[in-house]
Amino acid sequence: MQKPSIYPLLRADKLDRWRHRLSNDLKLDSDAAQRCEVTYYDSFDWRLYAAGKSLQCLRGPHGAETRLVDISDQSVTASLAVDVADARFASSLPDSALRARLERLLEMRTLLPLVTLKVVRYCLRQEDAEGKTRARLYLESFSRVDGTGKRRLLQKRLRLQPLRGYQKAADGLRRKLAQRHQLEAIDDQLFAQALTAAGKQAGDYSSSLAIDLQPGMRADAAVRRVLSELFATMKANEAGVIADLDSEFLHDFRVAVRRTRSALGELKRVFPPATLQRFRREFAWLGSLTGNVRDLDVYLLKFDIYKNAIPAGLREDLEPLRAFLHYKQHAEHTQQLAPQLRGSRYRKLKQQWQRFLDAPLAKRPTARDAAKPVGLVAHHRTWRVYKRVLKEGAAITPDSPHPELHELRKSCKRLRYLMEFFQSLYPPRGIRAAIKELKQLQDNLGDFQDADVQIGALKGFAMEMRRRGEYTAATGKAMDALLAVLESRLHRVRAEFESRFELFASDTNRARFKHLFHPREEADIA
Amino acid sequence: MITVACYNIKGGVGKTAAAVNLAYLAAQGGANTLVWDLDPQGAASFYFRIKPRIKGGSFSLFQRKRQLDDVIKATDYPRLDLVPADFSYRNMDLLLEQQRKPGTRLKKLIKPLRSEYHFLFLDCAPSISLVSENIFAAADVLLVPTIPTTLSLRTLKQLHDFCAAGDYAHLTVIPFFSMVDRRKSLHREIVDNRGGILEAAPRTYIPYASEVEQMGMRRAPLDTYAHASWAARAYRDMWQELQPRLLARRRAG
Repeated sequence: MQKPSIYPLLRADKLDRWRHRLSNDLKLDSDAAQRCEVTYYDSFDWRLYAAGKSLQCLRGPHGAETRLVDISDQSVTASLAVDVADARFASSLPDSALRARLERLLEMRTLLPLVTLKVVRYCLRQEDAEGKTRARLYLESFSRVDGTGKRRLLQKRLRLQPLRGYQKAADGLRRKLAQRHQLEAIDDQLFAQALTAAGKQAGDYSSSLAIDLQPGMRADAAVRRVLSELFATMKANEAGVIADLDSEFLHDFRVAVRRTRSALGELKRVFPPATLQRFRREFAWLGSLTGNVRDLDVYLLKFDIYKNAIPAGLREDLEPLRAFLHYKQHAEHTQQLAPQLRGSRYRKLKQQWQRFLDAPLAKRPTARDAAKPVGLVAHHRTWRVYKRVLKEGAAITPDSPHPELHELRKSCKRLRYLMEFFQSLYPPRGIRAAIKELKQLQDNLGDFQDADVQIGALKGFAMEMRRRGEYTAATGKAMDALLAVLESRLHRVRAEFESRFELFASDTNRARFKHLFHPREEADIA
Repeated sequence: MITVACYNIKGGVGKTAAAVNLAYLAAQGGANTLVWDLDPQGAASFYFRIKPRIKGGSFSLFQRKRQLDDVIKATDYPRLDLVPADFSYRNMDLLLEQQRKPGTRLKKLIKPLRSEYHFLFLDCAPSISLVSENIFAAADVLLVPTIPTTLSLRTLKQLHDFCAAGDYAHLTVIPFFSMVDRRKSLHREIVDNRGGILEAAPRTYIPYASEVEQMGMRRAPLDTYAHASWAARAYRDMWQELQPRLLARRRAG
């Protein structure tokens, strides 16, 4: 759709008076006022905003319409006559361009309402002698009902919507609006205004870590800042996890917990041992609490890929497994995860953790590395863990048992987390390249782990489904086919491990890591 | 983009009504849809109240002086656009003959629009000529409105044979019954006992109805002014049947 022009009107202006003026002066047809509301949506992590889009659902007397709009020029990318509130995920929308776009942008994330505005709108049309509309003008007022139920006006405006192939008509109107009515077009600020009015800030949540540290900072202060950031991520996702809005809340929550545990484990000389021990135990509990639901989420997220990997004739027979996974995920969530996150143990952990993070730094800390510059500590620890990864990886032969690969996977994770915590201390290009290399190895180990866990779980599911009477011979056959798929996947990624590791341990890469992390003479604080 | 040509060698069988109404339903369902009124009579343009004229005439399009993109007009309905007719289309055969590779000129013209529209409906003039060959080369699906009479079936057979003999293996021919009058025993007999090439026809047929004829007076798609009528329902049902077949065609392509 063509780019509209927006003209601001004064707050005191009466739309109806403008309507009369414009209809008479520009010879436009107009309809009676229409009252509707518009709700803006995005994912929790602002994926649409990051892509320069906003999703708007307009609800009026003639039904609802949902539009994906380009924020920069207000042109409509895709639209559909549906109420998006009826669809939790993009995949539940009817097959359409809008759905395809949203699925690509949002992936597994659910849509959340950001802000709702009340709209009063007059539509004025310029028609030709045949009764064909050549351009539309909209007189609009937007207001928001605040927490106290009071209606607050945000903006009154005139919007000129050109139609494709009728540029001249739009240009003529634009000229007349400027000359006869002294109206000047501005950039559209409605979305930004609406967010501000609702106390929201676009892009205020991202799952990636970006912590700005200076190498000379005291290590305990720097690590606390990292931990505070992780704690903020946990708290931000908590409500979404409890409400089970989408799988990504738990994913981000869990990653923050794992990063916290990793920091407490790898940087143990930065904090007093007694304090550490208590928190390590509590965060380990939180990690295991979230494990089951996450495993089931992963299974469900990959379900369609798995389904399509088995022979076509068996695919529909796999559906009872999906239903079972949903049931089990729901049960785990409502019976275990959600009650525990509402419970006292978690609440206490949060209180004590907050107190620990807020406490003033000790003047003469007992922990050995606490007062050292974080630059040195980061160098030293990262190098140690990197050496460990190399050693563990080199020890793996084609006959090594699975747990050895899992151990290596965990070490890689520790390394990755340290590199991410202290990213700001290193040259951006160097650290990014090193993370990329590590990620390739991690992907291989992650795929291996997923397949291994899923094979193990599948056998248990079969038994449980049989007990619940959901296991037919046909489903059994489909699950056997899935088992075969997972096993061949497991073998394939296992076979790829050696070459992946060789790449990671190559001389170029060793030089890269050495250059970044090798402790120099004065830095050797071990 | 899926290109659907509403085509029949015969005239007055409901081609334009099908193109306009089905395109309207496609757009209502969320698809960006374009109708190209290829008939010099300009009936589709008339229904959308758009002047049957393009800048520079068809000459400028076929001489590569103007892109199709420049002559597209928005209709009064969301997501639905039109390339209007032009009286010069009556000479399209002659124009095409002067081109290099005259058989695929149309296909070349619509190529740049592929990423913008999900459906392109070609409302074709009745005839079988070089223009038809262009249409067959450009279209994915040939939607053939067919009145259930002996002569119409014979024409359909001719069309089938022509497509089979030519190099149009990519083309799916879908006939459908149009202007069906169940008071006539011949209509009833043919519609109820479909076989051979008619097996591909959707189960839904379009009845002979005055509401459809009123499109000329209302100058709007049927659904906008007679939503509850039998004929409007028939178009909706038929679109429900056709859409998955068209989408499957795209995936196969």
